[in-house]
This record gives sequence, C-alpha cells and structure tokens, in this order.
Amino acid sequence: MADEMTDQDEDDRLMGRLLRERLPRYPAPALLRATLVQAGSGRDRAARWIAPAAAALAMAMVMLLWIAPLLPTTTAGDPVRLLERAVLGEHARIILWGESRPDVVPAALPRAMEESGVALNWVFTGDEKIQLLNARATYLEGRRAIELAYQDADGHTVTYLVLPAGALALPERGRVQIDRWRPLVRKEGGFSLIIWKQQELLCVLVSDLVSDGDLAKLKQYFVKVRSSTEPHAVY
Amino acid sequence: MADDQFLQQALQHLDALHNLAVYLTRNGSEADDLVQETYVRALRFSHRFQPGTHLRAWLFQILRNTFLTFYRLRERESPLSEHGVPEGELPMFQDAPGQDSERSSAHMDLEQALMRLPEEFKTPLLLAEIEGLPLEDVARIMDCPIGTVKSRIFRAKERLRGYLKDYGGDPKV
Repeated sequence: MADEMTDQDEDDRLMGRLLRERLPRYPAPALLRATLVQAGSGRDRAARWIAPAAAALAMAMVMLLWIAPLLPTTTAGDPVRLLERAVLGEHARIILWGESRPDVVPAALPRAMEESGVALNWVFTGDEKIQLLNARATYLEGRRAIELAYQDADGHTVTYLVLPAGALALPERGRVQIDRWRPLVRKEGGFSLIIWKQQELLCVLVSDLVSDGDLAKLKQYFVKVRSSTEPHAVY
Repeated sequence: MADDQFLQQALQHLDALHNLAVYLTRNGSEADDLVQETYVRALRFSHRFQPGTHLRAWLFQILRNTFLTFYRLRERESPLSEHGVPEGELPMFQDAPGQDSERSSAHMDLEQALMRLPEEFKTPLLLAEIEGLPLEDVARIMDCPIGTVKSRIFRAKERLRGYLKDYGGDPKV
C-alpha cells in the first residue's frame, strides 16, 4: 500500500516535471504588450482595440438574434422561458457590446428612463464589490425596458432589466427565499437568472455566476439591487 | 494605487496570463482578446488593490471568469464534443517553438493531450504546475475548495498519462 502511494507520488512528480520542461509556453506578443501599455496610458483606454472587435462581435450577435426566432423551439407557451431567452440575448449583447462601452451613468440614467418608460426613484450605483457601468433603454419581448449593466470585482457582468410585467405570472416552483424576498431563481444555458415582480414591473438579474459560491454572490447582489432600487412605470 | 502603477504591476504577469489564455482558447487572436479584456476589467477595479496583494491570482481569476463568460455564450451556439470543447478546433501545434523533431513531437503529444482535458482540470493543472501558484490561490481562482483542486490536478495527471499512452509515447519521458 505504502509502495503504491510512493509510486503514485513519483508518477505525479514526473508528470509535473514533464509539463514544466516539455510543454510549450506562449509569451505575450510584443504588439499585445505595446497595446496594453498604450491603452493604459491613453485617456481612451479601451476604445482603440475594442471598437473593431466589439463591432464584429455585435454584428455576429445581431445576426444570431435575428435568426433565433426562426429556429425551432420547445418553449412555446411558457412565457417565463421565453422571457429568459430574451433576457439572455440581451445579457449577451451587454457582454459583447454594452459592457465594453461604460457610459457616464448620471447622464445615461435620465435618458434611459425617459426612453424606456421605467423610472427609477432610487438606484443602486454600486459599492466596493460591484459597480454600475451603464444604463440604457431596450426592447424586450415586445415591451420597452430599462437595462443596467454592472460588473463585479472578479470581472463578472451582471445585467439588471426592468420592464412592464403585463399579465405575466411567476410560477411558485423555483422560488427561493433570499433575505426578505422570494424571487424565482433559474439556471439557463450556463447563466443564472433571478426574476421577481416589483409593483407592476418585472425585474430580472442575470449573470454567469452559476456555481454554488457564485450564485451566493449573485444573491447578495440581488439584495443590494432589490433593497436600493425603486422602479416604477411612468405610463 | 494609481492606474499607471497598477498597470505596471499587472503587466509583470502578462506572459503568464497569455500562456493560460492560449491553452484555454486554443487560438492566438482569441487569446490576445481575452488577455486585453482581462486587463480592461482589472483596471476598472484597480483602486481596490494595494501593492503586494495577490494581484497575480486575481488577474488569473478575472481571465478565467472572462473566458467562461464568452465560452458559455459560444457554448449556446455550437455543439460540444465529449470533452466539453467545441468540435473542429485544433490545438496550436503549429505555433510551438522550433525544436528538433523528436522533442517537437513530444511537445505536440503533450500539448495535444493537455488540450483534451476539460477546462476545470486543465486550468488548475496549468496554474499549479506551470505557474507555480499555491493551491490556496488556485482554489480561489477556481472558486472551489482546496481538496477539489487537489483532486482535479490528480485526475488531470491521470488522464494525461492515459492520453500519452494513446499517442504511443512514454508518459515518463
């Protein structure tokens, strides 16, 4: 038994050495380093390389979203599932485009509220763990909505969407007690969604925080957003 | 800490980040994009850092999270192989540094074997064995307990040995 353990340890050490000695390393190209240095020192820090890449990605996402409704689906008749898909599409767009273009939030919020028809009396603008990057109006499942993009200190994007709830009813199944609220928590396609109703509005928080530890973080963000944001429909 | 100062410190880890990015994305330009995105995200939160803290581990964590975010988006769009990676993508063998043919072949086998590992095995193995990060830091980056990290590294090596045998190589070379 002891011999087997020793052999195993020796095999592990050999494999470690093999990796260190034989596995090719890929140092960063000089151009990448220069780009980062330039981006860090310039006032337009991210724009130089993000713009063309994000434009290409955004175009790809637009194409994907354009053909998505044509694809066969098994979610017909489940309005919550349809909403989830729409929210994930919006979240993808935020990641690929909106997040990389942080806006001046105090300026963006009034415009987003006016265009979306959703007013925010109070809004959670962030703390040391998560920051609000931008806000804009959007269109989701035939309804105008406001979306706020946050990013946490570990680089996760968290999208907060608010839109008129209409007649949509949230099912009891999947509800989870978080602090003093009981929202619907779902996982879909590698993303987590927290969905709740607030007055006559439907609110969704979506992120790629899916592991148990990460979901606990998302729940903390939910508490911050839920307790510090007060949305209401203007009309 | 000022942005410039932070960037200077962060750039010390650029090669290591790029190396991991290449092994995660298997694509040079995607790796560049991933690393750039990592630095942009890190700079946004640079005010949280004090010199001497675990900057290296934090940067790796951001890089991995960013990769997983984009990977999940792509995952929704393309079919996956049994190993959890999109089909039809090739490792970057052609970019391996020039060596004599025998050694180069060993590089290729080892790299090819590594590419077959699922991300949750590959990343802790590279971080611990290649980058020399303490298991505590690897656990933080992977967002899992240290015991899980140890187990994944053990299983990764076990799988690598099996793959290398498949290629007819001697895993103890």
